[in-house]
Amino acid sequence: MLRDITLGQFYPGRSVLHRMDPRVKILLVLCTIVFIFVASTFSSLGLIVALVFLSMCLSGVPLRMYGKSLKAILFVVLFTSVLNLFYGSGDPVLQWGFMRITVDGIRRAVFVAVRISTLIVCSAILTFTTSPTQLTDALERLLRPLKKLKVPVHDIAMMMTIALRFVPTLLEETDKIMSAQKARGADLESGGVIQRVKAMVPVLIPLFVSAFRRAYDLAMAMECRCYGISPRVTKMRQLHVGRVDLWACAVVALVMAAVVAGNLLLPVWM
Amino acid sequence: MNPVLETRDLTFTYSPGTAYAKTACDHVNLTVYEGEFLGVIGHTGSGKSTLIQQLNGLLQPTSGQVLLHGQDIWADPKKIRAVRFQVGMVFQYPEYQLFEETVMKDICFGPKNKGLSDEEALQCAKEAAYFVDLREELWEKSPFELSGGEKRRAAIAGVLAMDPDVLILDEPAAGLDPRGRDKLLSQIRRYHKARGNTVLLVSHSMEDIARVADRVLVMNGGKMAMLDRTENVFARGDELQKMGLMVPQVTRIMARLRQEGYPVRGDELTVEQALEELLALCGKGGAD
Repeated sequence: MLRDITLGQFYPGRSVLHRMDPRVKILLVLCTIVFIFVASTFSSLGLIVALVFLSMCLSGVPLRMYGKSLKAILFVVLFTSVLNLFYGSGDPVLQWGFMRITVDGIRRAVFVAVRISTLIVCSAILTFTTSPTQLTDALERLLRPLKKLKVPVHDIAMMMTIALRFVPTLLEETDKIMSAQKARGADLESGGVIQRVKAMVPVLIPLFVSAFRRAYDLAMAMECRCYGISPRVTKMRQLHVGRVDLWACAVVALVMAAVVAGNLLLPVWM
Repeated sequence: MNPVLETRDLTFTYSPGTAYAKTACDHVNLTVYEGEFLGVIGHTGSGKSTLIQQLNGLLQPTSGQVLLHGQDIWADPKKIRAVRFQVGMVFQYPEYQLFEETVMKDICFGPKNKGLSDEEALQCAKEAAYFVDLREELWEKSPFELSGGEKRRAAIAGVLAMDPDVLILDEPAAGLDPRGRDKLLSQIRRYHKARGNTVLLVSHSMEDIARVADRVLVMNGGKMAMLDRTENVFARGDELQKMGLMVPQVTRIMARLRQEGYPVRGDELTVEQALEELLALCGKGGAD
């Protein structure tokens, strides 16, 4: 059924990561992602993996959820690492025809697999622990410098918030309309592609009508509360950089420094 | 009386096997007889909607059976659409399901899905429009041009036109003004009398239920709390109140009068009955 679809992956909780300032979280995640690609030795990548794993444990989100998001990209990981398997230089371990697998290739394959998985888990931590509203709030604040270039940052953020807010509502509505039409004998499940598209008309028309009705209602309600009158809009929930955020920054900075050091000082194998 | 719709240990669990699992319908054994008018009441979240959506196969029970004319409706899942023509369902705010270019075409949607020819479908649609008093000049209008009450009636006609053996209405009068409410209710009653089929009415208005229902089913926490004749159910006011339900206002007043020692029955369900009682009482008093 439609209501089983979860959009956005927010996993409500009260962990340290949930309580962090979303702006800091976004920046730290971006920073970590950059360093995932900077790390060129196993030990520096290992450090980042350790950091990400620590955050996973701190997030209070069941590890199985991370497993799910990894499963979704399992194919991409396998495909890239298998491709890398054949790109190594040096003496072949195995060879048939023009295809040869070298120790270097195996190393690359493992490295790439770990890299992509860490990347995915890292962004999953952000979306699991930050609600969509917090995310848009933080993005609005982070993109504020673009206002100088006449980019309507606030309006864009507002649109994003509204869109996110109405996804579950419209899903529920679709579900209801589908039930109502099925109750009138509409056949939504069988037939070929064209038949199915045609069968969706009785669902889509009421859905659009209701989406427009909701848009009018919402616009009216916003105008009644004087939206757009004041040039400077204050927030109900102010974002604060707290002690947790400073600690997180410190930890990430340390790890990054270690990664750079590891890159420079250690041989690639380690 | 023959049973038309029966449920055997009907159970439905949302998201089974997860932390969010919720049993909204718990071993319900219900028998609905042919030609009866059954009221369904229950607090919000008591499982009414889940129950009725299983009766026409929109939801498949987690366990248990729904029998229509003695046949398990899920015996052959491919034939479930046929069940939906026999058990017609009017959802809450049904006007949001209108989609066709004209009102008449929209009412014909159900009968045509049933496989009727254009003329037959039109015939059924006209009869249905007559039952809900939809004036002829509205038939060729776009459904989106109608007023709120007219839209509601057009949508209900869309289900009536399928001529179901059992008609289920979920809060058909919600959001209508008092006059529209009364009118709709008497139309439903008229339809029930004329066709002699079975009607299930879900409502939060005890007054409405008291006026039209022969029997009342009370749902509470996903379980069947009571199933009895209307007057017997509303005689158990204290129990109903514990489930967050009320007894019709007039019944409450009359029960209170009886408590205070006035010689009234105390179980009057409609204003008319109460008026009769009270007039008789006043007549006696005046004679003294």
